[in-house]
Amino acid sequence: MKLGSFEVKLEKRVSLPGWEATLISLLAILVALVVFSYIFVRAGVNPLTGYKEIFSYAFMSSFGLPLTINRFIFLLLCTYAFIIPIRAGLWNIGMAGQLYAGALSAFAVAFAFGAKTSQNAVLPPGLVIPLMIAAAILGGAVVGAIAGFLKGRFNTNEIVVTMMLNFITYWIVARLIKEGGLFMGASGEGDGFKIPESIYAPLVKNVPFTVFIALGLAMLLYFLFAKTKIGYQIKAYGKSPSAAKYAGISPYKIPLLVFIMGGLIAGLAGYHYFAAVPGVYKITKNYGDFGDLAFYGIICGLISQGDALAAIPIALLFGGLTNGGRFAQGKLKLGFGIDYALLGVLMITLVAFQFFYRYKIVVVRTKKETSDVGIHS
Amino acid sequence: MWEFIVRSLDASTIFTIAALSELLGQRSGVLNVGVEGVMLFGATIGFMVAQTTGSYLLGFLAGIAIGGLIGLLHGFFSITLGSDQVVNGMGIWILGFGLTTYIGYPYTGPLGMERIPNVIGLSPFFFIGVALIIIAWFVLTKTSLGLRIRSVGENPSVAEVSGINVTRTRYLSVITSGMLMGFAGAIYSLDYNPVWSNDFLMGWGFIALALVFFSMWNPYILLGGSILFGTLWQLSLNPQLVLPDLMSRYIWRTVPFTITVGALMLMSTEWFRARWGAAKPEALGQPYIKD
Repeated sequence: MKLGSFEVKLEKRVSLPGWEATLISLLAILVALVVFSYIFVRAGVNPLTGYKEIFSYAFMSSFGLPLTINRFIFLLLCTYAFIIPIRAGLWNIGMAGQLYAGALSAFAVAFAFGAKTSQNAVLPPGLVIPLMIAAAILGGAVVGAIAGFLKGRFNTNEIVVTMMLNFITYWIVARLIKEGGLFMGASGEGDGFKIPESIYAPLVKNVPFTVFIALGLAMLLYFLFAKTKIGYQIKAYGKSPSAAKYAGISPYKIPLLVFIMGGLIAGLAGYHYFAAVPGVYKITKNYGDFGDLAFYGIICGLISQGDALAAIPIALLFGGLTNGGRFAQGKLKLGFGIDYALLGVLMITLVAFQFFYRYKIVVVRTKKETSDVGIHS
Repeated sequence: MWEFIVRSLDASTIFTIAALSELLGQRSGVLNVGVEGVMLFGATIGFMVAQTTGSYLLGFLAGIAIGGLIGLLHGFFSITLGSDQVVNGMGIWILGFGLTTYIGYPYTGPLGMERIPNVIGLSPFFFIGVALIIIAWFVLTKTSLGLRIRSVGENPSVAEVSGINVTRTRYLSVITSGMLMGFAGAIYSLDYNPVWSNDFLMGWGFIALALVFFSMWNPYILLGGSILFGTLWQLSLNPQLVLPDLMSRYIWRTVPFTITVGALMLMSTEWFRARWGAAKPEALGQPYIKD
């Protein structure tokens, strides 16, 4: 494209420096938020007022902030469940199924200790809580392993498989918490049973201790991908599975491994939301909403370009946006589902922006127009 | 029993058209994993327009139009920008899932229009679905247009050299494919189950995507697979019609998904591939960038 004596053209990037990637990601989020302001305009609300409401509730209010932090922990875990496989070039969109399995397994432990029969039971937290976490990890890992095994062994499309597993586990949860299911709550209104107070997850300044697990995982994953052999193997497989094979990296092992790791982290997310967040402590009847929320993990993972540390501020931002969005929706009468709408807008903006990770726009000065040079008659 | 067969065929029709649309796009080398998203758009916009105007025709046209538009968007990302098709498809699915939840919410509830009349006991769309299969087979295998579509899906550089406009052919396929996906979604929300609730498709689009892999890119096998899955889906909703009190109704709901995983696994075994051959379009998922 020519503009006067300048030419604007696209150039393929040879490398993408970290700061430029960050800039593109930030720009993508900004553009998405600008596009999204249409929803405020449509409801006759000034977008700046709208965003102010969202952010002040999410980050400044004493009601909103704890909810934001709980969502942040959840989203960060879901993001890691997505990031590990994506570094190997594989799509885990089964965080929902893995976290349902994690929650079910954790509650199965509580159930085995008689938590359902008595709301006031005094159970040994030092034993039951670690067992619940271990079970959640195991449950998530097993569901993840199915997709990883099928990918590694038969090269079965992991997107379809993980999505199918989401639906399968979704209905298994329904079977267990509804209509006389084993984990049905006393009220019989479709919620699962509530765990006794003695095994509520410990809180640190009103924040579940799972925040330390999530942040610890951030360090661990950073280290895994920056320093370890297995991290290198995962990345090599992600670049080219066939080339990795010649470098002696097992094409069976890597998919299985990344899906087990992703699944176990998603399982933790299930433990976190249903057994550690104050005021919940049960598998709620709207558990499907948390499965939907888990898809934000895909967006956080893509924006952070698979970087475990960069995912932290992004997960915090989206935790706040979705939480504040729900609040603003009620207060400003915006209509149901603005957190879903934001999910969609963010995702498609990001898809459009991935172009700029590969290309850059360069402006070059073309030769000065030389109309005065010619044949003089 | 007759009622069950009819409902199964109705469900099959939606699988048939959705999967056929994906097959068409894939034959030209463009993978769209966001079938579910395009269907949600077609279903929701179709439902909104039909309810507002009181016209089924306008509802279907709106569903088809929005599907075409989303197909164009997918084409722009995948063909013109040459971005990763899986990422684009995921984007389209999440866009559809997120946005339709928001825009459709005020329309929650039944459509409230007189049902579309049956033709000899079956939904008219069943016949349209079968006709589309035959047309697709004919176009793909017997016409020069079909040859062009298949060749850009197999080897775009060779196609380009032999004078085929790869970009134009792929756009044509992807937009038509999007229109059909939108149509399939609109059939769901206007005929099969005319009640709007959020994220009501619950995996139809993903099963349709899997059906394309089962079909080995052959429209007739695709039709067979769709009828099988339509029946399974219907069975999972009303198991008491066939097998009373065998399992909880919730467990029945997992059956179509479990069978999809099982069949997909069988499909990907070496035994199966060696025996039946993999007809996968060679250039599937790869952007074509002219040098």
